[in-house]
Amino acid sequence: MNPDLDLVLERIIRAPRATVWSAWTDPAKLAQWWVPAPSRCRVDRLEVRPGGAFVTRLSDDGAVYAPNLDACFLLVEELERLVFTNAVTSDWRPAIPEPVAMTATVTLTDHPDGTGYRVLVKHGDPESRARHEKLGFAEGWGMVTGQLAAVAEGLAAR
Amino acid sequence: MAQYSAELDGVFVALADPTRRAVVRRLGLGPTSVGELAREFPMTLPSFMKHVRTLESNGLIRTVKSGRVRTCVLNRERLALVDDWLAEQRRIWEERTDRLEQFVTGPEESSP
Repeated sequence: MNPDLDLVLERIIRAPRATVWSAWTDPAKLAQWWVPAPSRCRVDRLEVRPGGAFVTRLSDDGAVYAPNLDACFLLVEELERLVFTNAVTSDWRPAIPEPVAMTATVTLTDHPDGTGYRVLVKHGDPESRARHEKLGFAEGWGMVTGQLAAVAEGLAAR
Repeated sequence: MAQYSAELDGVFVALADPTRRAVVRRLGLGPTSVGELAREFPMTLPSFMKHVRTLESNGLIRTVKSGRVRTCVLNRERLALVDDWLAEQRRIWEERTDRLEQFVTGPEESSP
């Protein structure tokens, strides 16, 4: 946890864990609380499994729906933990979301009053993007492919 | 918040490194000379100067030269940008959690 860039939110929700889990993982339910009224939300894809899509759209007027979140689940532990990131899209394409990439971890625990609810949001590091550009992306990949070819040809010649 | 986007990007770049974050925290205690700062970090002076330049070019610190001594000063306004932005993100997640809570404790949810 980096206190400059990350945030944590913890509270007790007076509802059973299964109910909270279902509010997160049932598209029709998620759509009802994901965005603040009067905006409306459409959950296009909610594939609650590692690698699964998490895509929502948002409408201010109920007519035109604009992209809201295009993310990907990294980890799903039934009734316990959901981890998703917008640094990778629902199609697993690396993304540079605005203003910065984030990974959110939602953790549910049993609590005498209902459910212990914790959200950790880690915000991204645009530095890695700059570094990547400096390294010369194409050159790097060309070199790796060259090495791979050399190894493969070496094996083939045996 | 969109108007901040470019500046914010720069601030995040500057803060995306542990050495630079440590320098920012150190300067929170007051202006310090580059020489004095450099002694506190286990790296060569040229490497350290690169961090100082990154912080300066992204507006997180100012450096003032007086004679042979260069002093670094924290630019608190710039840092406040991140605080504002983080506060905004926190508000978004807090409100989202409020809505979730209302949704799961509401009347329609208790009869699935």
